[in-house]
Amino acid sequence: MRAILKIALGIIAAIGGFLDIGDLVFTTQAGALFRYDLLWAVVLGVIGIAVYAEMSGRVAAVSGRPVFDVIRMRTGFGMGLLALVASTFVNLLTLAAELGGIAIVLELLFDAPYSMFVFAGAIALVGIVALLPFGGIERVFGYGGLLLFVVVATVFHQNPDWGDVAHGFVPTLDSSTLYLYFVVGVFAAALMPYEVHFYSSGAIEEGWTEQNLKENRLNAILGYGIGGILSVGLVIVSGYLFHPIGVEPSDLGTVALPMQGAFGETGLLLALAGMLFCVGGAAVDSSFAASYNLAQFLGWEWGRYQGPKKAPRFTASWLVFLLLGIAIAESGINPVEITEYSVVFSVVALPLTYLPVLLIAGDRSFMSDYANGRIATFLGWLYFAVIVVLALAAIPLLLATNAGGG
Amino acid sequence: MKGEGEIFVVHRLLDEQICDSDGRRVGRVDDVEIRGNPPRVTALLVGDGLYPRRLPRRLARLARRISGPERWGQNALRIPWEEVDGLSSTVKLRKKAEELGLGMGDDPERWIVRRLPWN
Amino acid sequence: MTATGRKKARSSAPGLLLAVALLLTSGGCGDLSNDELNRGVESLSALAAQGQLIANGVARDATKATYARVMAKTLSEEADHEAEKLADATLEEPETADQRHAAVAVAGEISGLLSTLQTFPGDERHGELVEKHLAEEEEKADAIVAQLSGDAP
Repeated sequence: MRAILKIALGIIAAIGGFLDIGDLVFTTQAGALFRYDLLWAVVLGVIGIAVYAEMSGRVAAVSGRPVFDVIRMRTGFGMGLLALVASTFVNLLTLAAELGGIAIVLELLFDAPYSMFVFAGAIALVGIVALLPFGGIERVFGYGGLLLFVVVATVFHQNPDWGDVAHGFVPTLDSSTLYLYFVVGVFAAALMPYEVHFYSSGAIEEGWTEQNLKENRLNAILGYGIGGILSVGLVIVSGYLFHPIGVEPSDLGTVALPMQGAFGETGLLLALAGMLFCVGGAAVDSSFAASYNLAQFLGWEWGRYQGPKKAPRFTASWLVFLLLGIAIAESGINPVEITEYSVVFSVVALPLTYLPVLLIAGDRSFMSDYANGRIATFLGWLYFAVIVVLALAAIPLLLATNAGGG
Repeated sequence: MKGEGEIFVVHRLLDEQICDSDGRRVGRVDDVEIRGNPPRVTALLVGDGLYPRRLPRRLARLARRISGPERWGQNALRIPWEEVDGLSSTVKLRKKAEELGLGMGDDPERWIVRRLPWN
Repeated sequence: MTATGRKKARSSAPGLLLAVALLLTSGGCGDLSNDELNRGVESLSALAAQGQLIANGVARDATKATYARVMAKTLSEEADHEAEKLADATLEEPETADQRHAAVAVAGEISGLLSTLQTFPGDERHGELVEKHLAEEEEKADAIVAQLSGDAP
């Protein structure tokens, strides 16, 4: 029994936060606009990130190579640089959106100005990162993110038509461009690469070897599975409450309304607190992912465990990214709008960082006995095809629907 | 057959992470020097002065403006092949980074680390 | 901006492409087509619906005052923004002038009601009143949409 608990806690800590502002925004909008019809797209995205994360974690454990080491080594300097630039751009937008999201939730809880909370939130993050050990950081955001299980409780409180809900898991393709935009958006929000880049670098920081492969698989399946359950829950509660009355969620605070409706002030506070931990964890992950990727590509010394003295450029770049993120969050653009762009651009850049990992994960000369088996190969290539299709469709759909505004 | 072996070595050498004898990460193999007949790898080349070589022409011009000309000993370093201790998932060197002039970017004595608030 | 945009659009093909690109991305300032007017009024209806949920929370004393205040402020600003958009734009079909006028009035009412909620986010009585009046404004907005659909070919 204790072993199970230990494993469970490990999984929760491994995927600190589970959801980010992109998931919160896109699932709530998807539910409001299309009720339960996009549940299948959520599941598709969740399985996708589990596949990508499992491969990246396995490559890191067996070959000692994190994602951007793989990218530079496998695709060379030129293509690698393209992947780095695209990835850094997306990570910066994501970081800005998450920092903005933290500020919005704090504003909803404490009613002080948003711009003050952007700074306060960022300072708090620096404090947490500087003072807590690496594992402790993820644990804080992971356990805090569990508060969002109030969403699951809300689903059962609402007691929706389960037949209709089940129907939503069956893939259907509406021809409306808005529907297709949300297919891309919901999928992309679930499959944000910075999470995987952070995860693979974390595996190297923790000194993973072949012994950790089982743990890697559990993290991928159960850890992201929990995120999937929460995302599904958000679509359902939003679809149940917002769709019949025609609410169009355009603010982060709207995400918490169904929980307020079901459980009053307690539900609201649990939802807001859960959102805060999720978005906070995502801010840490995206900022580190940006620094990890840069340092790994250029060959610098890197690592949270190294500390600022041994890895000064890595540390300095982390601070610079944080400052840039703050600047964007303070620029007056609504974080929810930044999120629309960060999620869409993320899927456009995704093939560049996904393919090299897929290729190395299946390469026996790097992975010996641990190369992709039949299932991993099949899923890996299937998802590559899906990702390429969505990457090509993303920007046209973004323009056609005016970023989901219709 | 010897020619193919050489190409394979270059393929696996280029862009690999370099670590010094202490295990510190000190850059990547940005280019490889090949000399002689039959061709042999004689040195690893490291440094951002070498990036323009690796880029297509238009970008190379822009990169050259940013990193400046190749200044050997500063933004371009030559690590003779004899300094290589082994090859696994990284290129391991026999000596420490300072002895070869590598990893100066992360040298705490030289950097703004001194000015960071917690130092 | 509108006049220049239109002139440029008529003078050359690249200008037309640019104008189209700008319209697609600028969120629709310029000529207000029937569809866009429709969209605008629908979004007012949506704002009113969401406002009712917030007001209901206040009325039942089942929410946090800071949350209600900040949400009411945000929604109120969105209603104001919508009102400005609708008021400033030039109508493509002059027959819809009455609907546009009514829509701007509804937007103003919604914004005002939400501002009240912003001022009294803990007061249950105000919550009840705002919820009731927002429901009325939502009905008005839905009626305008119905009229527009009736008018449309």
